[in-house]
Amino acid sequence: MLTVTNLRIAYGGAEVVHGVSLEVGEGECVALIGPNGAGKSSLLKAVCGLIKPTAGNIVFEGADITGMAGHEVARRGIAMCPEGRQMFPEMTVMENLRLGAYRRRKEDISAEIEEVMTLFPRLRERASQMAGTLSGGEQEMVAISRALMAKPQLCIFDEPSLGIAPKVVDEIEDTLVKIKALGVTVLLVEQAVSMALRVADRAYVLEAGEVVAAGTSAEMSSDPRVQRAYLGA
Amino acid sequence: MLVDLIQQLFNGLVIGSIYTLVALGLTIIFGILGIAHFAHGSVAMFGGYLTFFFIQQFGIGLFPAMAVAMAVGALLGVVLERVAYHPVRNAPPINAFIIALGLTLIIEKANLLVFGVDQVIIPTGFDRVFNIGGVTLPELRVYILGIAAFLVVAMTILINRTWMGMAVRAVAQNRPAAILMGINVNTVSMFVFGLSSALGVAAGVLVGALFAVAPGVSGGLVVKGFAVLILGGLGSIPGAIIGGLVLGVSEAFASAFVSSAYKDVIAFLLMIGVLLIKPEGLMRRRSNR
Repeated sequence: MLTVTNLRIAYGGAEVVHGVSLEVGEGECVALIGPNGAGKSSLLKAVCGLIKPTAGNIVFEGADITGMAGHEVARRGIAMCPEGRQMFPEMTVMENLRLGAYRRRKEDISAEIEEVMTLFPRLRERASQMAGTLSGGEQEMVAISRALMAKPQLCIFDEPSLGIAPKVVDEIEDTLVKIKALGVTVLLVEQAVSMALRVADRAYVLEAGEVVAAGTSAEMSSDPRVQRAYLGA
Repeated sequence: MLVDLIQQLFNGLVIGSIYTLVALGLTIIFGILGIAHFAHGSVAMFGGYLTFFFIQQFGIGLFPAMAVAMAVGALLGVVLERVAYHPVRNAPPINAFIIALGLTLIIEKANLLVFGVDQVIIPTGFDRVFNIGGVTLPELRVYILGIAAFLVVAMTILINRTWMGMAVRAVAQNRPAAILMGINVNTVSMFVFGLSSALGVAAGVLVGALFAVAPGVSGGLVVKGFAVLILGGLGSIPGAIIGGLVLGVSEAFASAFVSSAYKDVIAFLLMIGVLLIKPEGLMRRRSNR
């Protein structure tokens, strides 16, 4: 479904991603793990069309989307739940959700609203509240729901557990499992490695702009390097 | 005394509603693009001249002439965005600032070149004067208030209730997130310039009917518009509405009860006062972003 080949990204003259290749198959949940500054976010931004890579290409559902404008990528069915939640702070929770379905604005979206409110019952209580006034955990729920509202072919989660209370992190893990069960293809970027490996089918380890390990979640969990660096073994 | 107060309140609301129309355009442009669009007043005057021209040349009524002028104004706004501001969207803000100043001169001089140096008053034929309990309500002023109110309400509905309006607010509040939702920022920019220029033209026509369309009026309009923006809060739509009315009414009270010579000073006193006491503007919540 998504194939990234030899992707290189540079800011100014400094290259931060040095030829990364990865693949996400239909219905799969793939985790991208690695420390801060490994290039995970840059890679995601390039996939979503927010920045242009310097080399390599990105193919989504058979079409080359390398360097395509961000809104066009979104309209093709890649939804992103961005790091830091990125709310529309002075809009209500409901409006935030509706905006998630912007690419489907000519369709009836009431069923999807109902769906995400069942996923996160707390959003129902908060529906008419300004998104900027919610707690971090609640905002994360809005961000996840907003991404789902697009009914995306591929849903990308960028550090959903970052800066969230531990109790809510468990809730987010449960949700990711549910989303996976719905058949949504997921690319999950996480620093909470043990959580990511529990949820994902496969994982790539990105370090200093290169893929240093890849395999199924089970393989990654038992890989001594991964254990030493990320799982505190 | 009460009659005087109500009279001045009415006068102030009429002028204030025109300020609101000018400020609404400026505020949504600022909210989306972060540009201080100084040429807005010149666009408004262009619309005033154009309406006058349509009425004189083709003998059509005020409302159709105004509608056509607003459509032309919207088109002009889109062209300005594409030709002037779009190329510098990723450059430091000083570029857009200089371009805004340049545009102001260009449109101002183009108005002179095309429509001449004489001031014109847009004929309306609304010459009746109503008198309710001692308060004088000239027909024209009642209509101006009505037209402005209609446009403000229509615009508010457009921004609050439609997908396009929601996209406009989304881009203003969080541009990268808006792109991730599939919103085309270019389309939104063009739409915003079209909408605000049409509102600016409407303001120009109302000024032209009430006072006159003339070289030099545009500068005053833009200054008042920005004063309203500071009053109400940069980028805030409710702020522009409340701010415009507050400014209009304050001016009317000042000229009636203090001295008309100090009318324009009021705008700046208000602005300074708000900046000292509530620098984020009357209608802006203290932001924690």
